[in-house]
Amino acid sequence: MMEFLGKIYNWIDVRLGTHEIITEKRTGYLLPRNVNAWYSLGSVLLVIFCLQIITGMLLMLYYVPDIDKAFDSVSFIMTEIPLGRLVRLFHAVGSSMMLLVLLLHMFSILFMGSYKSPRELHWLTGFFLLLLAMGISLTGYLLPWNQLSFWATTVATDCASSIPFIGENLVELLRGGKQVGIHTLGRFYTLHVGLLPALIAVLIGVHLFLIQRTGVSTPPFGLEDTSNQWKGESFVYEEHPGGIPFFPNFFLQK
Amino acid sequence: MDKSKRKFINICLGGVAALAATAFAAVTYPVFRYYLIPPTDKNSGGKTSVPLNEIALGDAKFFEFNGVAAVLVRKQDGSLAALSAVCPHLGCIVQWEKDRQDFLCPCHAGYFTADGAVISGPPPRALAKIPFSLANGVVTIG
Repeated sequence: MMEFLGKIYNWIDVRLGTHEIITEKRTGYLLPRNVNAWYSLGSVLLVIFCLQIITGMLLMLYYVPDIDKAFDSVSFIMTEIPLGRLVRLFHAVGSSMMLLVLLLHMFSILFMGSYKSPRELHWLTGFFLLLLAMGISLTGYLLPWNQLSFWATTVATDCASSIPFIGENLVELLRGGKQVGIHTLGRFYTLHVGLLPALIAVLIGVHLFLIQRTGVSTPPFGLEDTSNQWKGESFVYEEHPGGIPFFPNFFLQK
Repeated sequence: MDKSKRKFINICLGGVAALAATAFAAVTYPVFRYYLIPPTDKNSGGKTSVPLNEIALGDAKFFEFNGVAAVLVRKQDGSLAALSAVCPHLGCIVQWEKDRQDFLCPCHAGYFTADGAVISGPPPRALAKIPFSLANGVVTIG
């Protein structure tokens, strides 16, 4: 069996050089020796995002985005479907966790000064990810179509009306009408399961590319020299000679 | 390459870019309109009629007026008031409390009199009044 799997791996490796990718990007990808637990929050967020996608798709199996059926379909998931309650609460609590960890991630980056040049773009894409996460939470909140979600959405969208001149039109654009109703549900559903997850996935890709490209920042405290060597004239990959490999050392760290 | 040739190519490229921008706009405008304008209920040109005998003394009737929630109140003394039912605080729909003869906004507990004036809570101003007329026992709002 192992031999057969080895053959398959070899077949792919000969064609794509996968072994090289693994050695270079994982084991050969060195992190500063004084890297700390706060550096793992990004990975935590990635895991939560994947879980949200999976539980979200499971909820989509039974959820009906119609004002007469939405609440009943959610009740059906909660009471009739085996483990439906778990899946739905996983999705709902997961969204809160996502924002909580996002804020922790943001604060750790802020306090360790990792956002400083040359990593401004990392911060900027991360900030847009925070906005998108808030947007996907808001649009998801309406979907159960209960009293809480209806009034919360009424209040949240009404806030846009305080913008001078275009405020009223903007509220109507958001709601798809003058009041929260069937068109609001359709719009929010489309944003929640279509546009926003796609945008978040793309932006996560950009965010990860940037981190791979510049190398991981050095924490401002810990064991070694922590001065920032970057002078700003040209691009330099921040190497960490003598650092610990991402895989397996950091990946499997407690 | 001489300068006139480069200039000519730049002009051509500008033309292509303008054409692409126009094509982009031509495609996105219908998409935007599709998103922007939902089908609205065109009920009797912005006027609503309510027979007076449908509302008891001290009761209120809610209806939709120009796509927004509105309410007609028949007070204990028999006088009428037509008001927007949208709370001026954050846009929630107010409820009529028959036993207290006032309006309550469910979102942040704003209270209004039967005439729409603020009694207490966060609302910054009174409920908007809607003009109405009474003829042959039918109230016409708008």
